[in-house]
Amino acid sequence: MAWCGAMIPTEMTMQRRFRAASRMAAGALVLILFGAIELRAQQPDFTGVWTTYTEPGQGPGGGGGRGGGPPLPMTDVAKQKVAKYQALVQPTGDTPGGYCLGTGMPGSMLGSGGYPMEIHQRPEQIMIVYEAHNEVRRVYLGDRIVPEADRLPGRNGYSNGRWEGNTLVVETTNLVEQVDQRFAHSGKAKIVERYHLEKGVKGETVLVAEMTMTDPEFYTAAVTSVKKWAKVPNGHLLPYECAEENWIKHLEQLEKKAK
Amino acid sequence: MRSLVLVAAAVVIYSASLAAHHSAIQFDFTKSTPVTGVVKKFIAINPHMQLVLHVKDAKGERDIEFEGHSTNNMYRAGYRDNMIKVGDTITVYIAPLKDGSDGGYVTAATTAAGARFGLVSRAQLEQERLKAEGK
Repeated sequence: MAWCGAMIPTEMTMQRRFRAASRMAAGALVLILFGAIELRAQQPDFTGVWTTYTEPGQGPGGGGGRGGGPPLPMTDVAKQKVAKYQALVQPTGDTPGGYCLGTGMPGSMLGSGGYPMEIHQRPEQIMIVYEAHNEVRRVYLGDRIVPEADRLPGRNGYSNGRWEGNTLVVETTNLVEQVDQRFAHSGKAKIVERYHLEKGVKGETVLVAEMTMTDPEFYTAAVTSVKKWAKVPNGHLLPYECAEENWIKHLEQLEKKAK
Repeated sequence: MRSLVLVAAAVVIYSASLAAHHSAIQFDFTKSTPVTGVVKKFIAINPHMQLVLHVKDAKGERDIEFEGHSTNNMYRAGYRDNMIKVGDTITVYIAPLKDGSDGGYVTAATTAAGARFGLVSRAQLEQERLKAEGK
């Protein structure tokens, strides 16, 4: 009996503990859910079409990222590479865009030739499409971030995103060396973008993109730039085919040969 | 007010596309020159439209090749399919070549039907201002 008598209060205690633990777990779940909802509510939605924002009194905006501006703190190696490239293209003024090649980062995020861009935002991935040359950037967040070993370097690299309050922070690496844009860089460059929303002077929605690039091979100090985008209500991007000219020329050559 | 906004927007796109693509160094974008002729070839294409006009002027009769804004920029500035056809007589507004030879960069056009499309250049705005002021 003593054994049984001792069991009853123990079971009751365990049941009470279980109920209490269940209540605590449920409470914690509610707190986590509310926290997540609140966190999500803090994050602005950048979805939509955006075009270059021009400050009142400022000259026409434009491409950005392709040329002009004060000298950058380049290393000697970078200066030599850029000078060699400039000597090659300056007589003709040729640009990658003239040959249907996208600008690449950070030129793409700094204006992409003055054409608009479109953003699609989901919690795990943000897609940015620049109209010019249909350049696409995928910003992965959380579990969607691509493992380092699976990345193929390119002109727009790989971008990881995270939220710091209402600011989207995007880090881009896995770039290739590019001397054909304003912010030339090596493959070791790291670009950090910080995006947040502001109101323009007329109350319009403005997306502010602050860019910082570090590159020990090309720069002795970090380089920065700011690009502002104005929301285009119910905007649409146009298709941008660019290889047609090459195809037409090829067909013309075939026609000449056939005659 | 709306037209002012459109002009401003057009200027933005205009200057932006200069930064974007072509060999801008060969054209004089401080000038906007009208050229009238008969269309022999026209392709609205990216990165630059292609145009050949048969022109008769003081220099004689000849075909002149032009390039111009991207299809996308032209579309935003009013261009639509079939507005220009081979055989049409049109007027284009160009930034002429700096060396004075034939050709240039088309920024706007008036079609055979009288429709106008294109991007208002700074040079054009300045010329229109001077004209309005009787200078």
